[in-house]
Amino acid sequence: MRYLKIKSDKIHPFLERLSTYGALYGPVKISEEFYDYRKIDDVKDVAFEYTRTVTPAKKYVIPTRQDMFEFDMDTNEYRETIGEVEPFVLFGLHACSIVGLRILDGVYLDEYPDKYYKVRRDAGIIIGLSCLPDEYCFCNLRRTDFVDIGFDLFLHELPDGYLVRVGSEQGHKIVDENQDLFEDVNNQDIQNFKKFERKRHEMFQYQGSFDNLRYMLELTEDHPLWDRESDKCLGCGNCTMTCPTCRCYDVQDIPDIDGVHGKRIRYWDSCQFRSHGLVAGGHNFRETKKDRFINRYVCKNAYFYPLGTAYCVGCGNCTHFCPANIDFLKNLMEIRGISEGVYEHSR
Amino acid sequence: MSIADNIYDLHKCRVLRVYDMTDEEKLFLLRFENSETAESWTFSPGQFVQVALPGIGEIPISICSSPMRRGFFEMCIKKVGKVTDIVHTLHPGDFMGIRGPYGNGFPMAEFEDSDILLIAAGIGMVPLRSVFLYATDNRWKFGNITVINSARYGKNLLFRKELEAMRDIAEAENINIIQTVTRDPEWKGRTGRAQEHIADANTDPKNSYVVVCGPPQAYRSIFDTLIQQGYDPRNIYVTLERRMKCGVGKCGHCIAGSSTHLKYICLDGPVFGYYDIISTPGLI
Amino acid sequence: MKIGIHGLTSCYGCQLSMAIVRRLLDVVDKFEVEYFYMLSSKGDIADVDVAFVEGSVSTDMDEEEVKKIREHAKVLVAVGSCAIHGGVQSILHNEGIDYDQAFATVYGDRPIHYRGRVAEPIDKYVQVDYRLPGCPPEEEEIMYYLSTFAIGSWPEEKDYPVCAECRRAGNPCILIERNEPCLGPVTVAGCDARCIKYDIPCIGCRGAVPHDTAWFDSLAKTFKDRGMDKEYVRKRMAIFSAHHGKLDEMLDAIYGD
Repeated sequence: MRYLKIKSDKIHPFLERLSTYGALYGPVKISEEFYDYRKIDDVKDVAFEYTRTVTPAKKYVIPTRQDMFEFDMDTNEYRETIGEVEPFVLFGLHACSIVGLRILDGVYLDEYPDKYYKVRRDAGIIIGLSCLPDEYCFCNLRRTDFVDIGFDLFLHELPDGYLVRVGSEQGHKIVDENQDLFEDVNNQDIQNFKKFERKRHEMFQYQGSFDNLRYMLELTEDHPLWDRESDKCLGCGNCTMTCPTCRCYDVQDIPDIDGVHGKRIRYWDSCQFRSHGLVAGGHNFRETKKDRFINRYVCKNAYFYPLGTAYCVGCGNCTHFCPANIDFLKNLMEIRGISEGVYEHSR
Repeated sequence: MSIADNIYDLHKCRVLRVYDMTDEEKLFLLRFENSETAESWTFSPGQFVQVALPGIGEIPISICSSPMRRGFFEMCIKKVGKVTDIVHTLHPGDFMGIRGPYGNGFPMAEFEDSDILLIAAGIGMVPLRSVFLYATDNRWKFGNITVINSARYGKNLLFRKELEAMRDIAEAENINIIQTVTRDPEWKGRTGRAQEHIADANTDPKNSYVVVCGPPQAYRSIFDTLIQQGYDPRNIYVTLERRMKCGVGKCGHCIAGSSTHLKYICLDGPVFGYYDIISTPGLI
Repeated sequence: MKIGIHGLTSCYGCQLSMAIVRRLLDVVDKFEVEYFYMLSSKGDIADVDVAFVEGSVSTDMDEEEVKKIREHAKVLVAVGSCAIHGGVQSILHNEGIDYDQAFATVYGDRPIHYRGRVAEPIDKYVQVDYRLPGCPPEEEEIMYYLSTFAIGSWPEEKDYPVCAECRRAGNPCILIERNEPCLGPVTVAGCDARCIKYDIPCIGCRGAVPHDTAWFDSLAKTFKDRGMDKEYVRKRMAIFSAHHGKLDEMLDAIYGD
């Protein structure tokens, strides 16, 4: 892999250069406690210390609501409405977000590639950024805490700048075209990189792996946890909306008042909503709130076999953004039958 | 990329005939408007298509005709919702948008040289008719065939008349057709649930493939009866239903199963083997 | 296709919203409008394909009128929070306040030519086929409902909460961040979380999420954990959901009787 260093004083010029490759988006502080990806007009707005964003990076490849077709009801003809997608740069994605996008790739670009997704994915440059975990993070248990592919450049924090890993041809091109901003990595940088990674590793609340969790979950159908926790649940869908890999959508036809034209749209849906499991005729495969609650645990802990990881990347968003304070990680630990204390001792 | 790369794009199909089946079901015969598509488009029994009406929406529907009949296909559609309400108002000459076929379908090549037992409950005959017609169209490839078609009332028995009309030729072809109802006092023929007639099938349990389709709650007792009578669980298949929005594993609506066996009904199914079913809690 | 647009006891804001849609000319082009009091005092309750009714039943006249509208309509759509949920004027419901006394407090002893009563949603008196929520409804939804009827179909009603739209919009969650008494989790979506976007907690004006999926109990627990008392929480939830069949039962389950 190609490694470079960018010094702290070059980082804002670097962001300005990035914006010449496409519209620049990055994490911005939007309130006392929250961050979100926003269009960057002033590079000083970019928040390097953020942990998580309200909306995950998926919104750039799967818009919250998008037109699919315009149709003509008289002739029964459809015209796709993808439109031109301008190049864009997504700055500051953490490892979990990058794995999240790769899982979405697996779903959307399989044997039936989704064109609406592909044009957006192809238009995006991904710049990763290292992070330190907070109490909700458990990407280490999901083995998604470090990425080797899925980015163009990845920036690892150093005391005086960033160690840059180059992950794609596009990444090489950016580095080559902006050589004045980069320098070679020296021995001290390598030591600092290792030190950062060690510190980061030790900051995670739990150590170990969740690889066998899905079997334990399957054997935990009757656990009292399901009633207790789903009773708290608001059914609001915050957990799925903020999840980097939840990508269920619903489709709706919007006829025009002229009775001839109209459009077919799709928008983010959630398995936490009643109509998600409803079929024609009125049967609901997930009739109760508890059914829907369990469904998310099942789906997120299942494995996406092409990547060998769970659909859940351990970002902690669903816990942080739950107004009812339902703690996903704690519940998973309870399902594993390991009390917090015991698990911590295994460090 | 051109529009052809858009997996959600629709083929324009013309309704050629509409047949009233029951109070709630109609059978639609369709043809592709584009002659190239009409020539090249094919499917396997058990697969489904997405049916779209602009302004109304899209729904998954099983194909119920034989793939041997190129350029045409049939769908039996029950009036149960927003899209099917309007589908039922269509007349010959009207259009529908179609994309697909989707799903795995039945492994018909595997069935060759074996007997075939088809068990339908409720509206289960819809996807099974495609298997049945395919098997009769390729009669020499398969052994004995039995169809058990069951419903609550005689008027609900889908394809009842068609199956009755085939009775003579069926007998000559070693095809056994059994139609049974569970609640109809007016009914002159056989009564009782589908599984009560499995013993009368002309299929050899030791060399048969079985396909079951009906309400999921009926499956358990049908399986039990089949296994008790010596049918090999490895050769038992079912087909399932969900509300797919995309048909191609994207929208997430048909995801079912458990954390070790998470299935997309649209990609991994709708046809599942007996062992898939029993190792995937939540599938039925 | 014939339509009628009617108003019972309400602020007439729903009718106004329907009267000021940008494509009103297309609407009147598509439908024969048999009754629309806000636009014309001509017309009477006539046979229509679709009747839109805003307002709650708050007088005997309202009750008679809505029954008559129903008799003449193939399809009846309840429009807005008053028609669907009773509206803010239902706030006395289950409050244990004597209605006549409350009426007297407001109107004094002036002679009033009708007898008022606690406001109720129209589905207490007639069958409602579709619900167009809002206080008032959004133009986009009004047009969607009209357009689906115009082609012989019908609208798919939203059955999920404001939170979904709030997260899609990328707003910070003010309930989590500032313990605001936001009713987004129990309120039906469709407004694109407008108030939260302006940093104002949702007051639930669009009414509860349908199909028994408004979890007042879970939300009350969340509020309780954040130090809000029952009286405050009930008052807030009852502004638009006084008639919700499970509100008091759910609150009691969390706070006790």
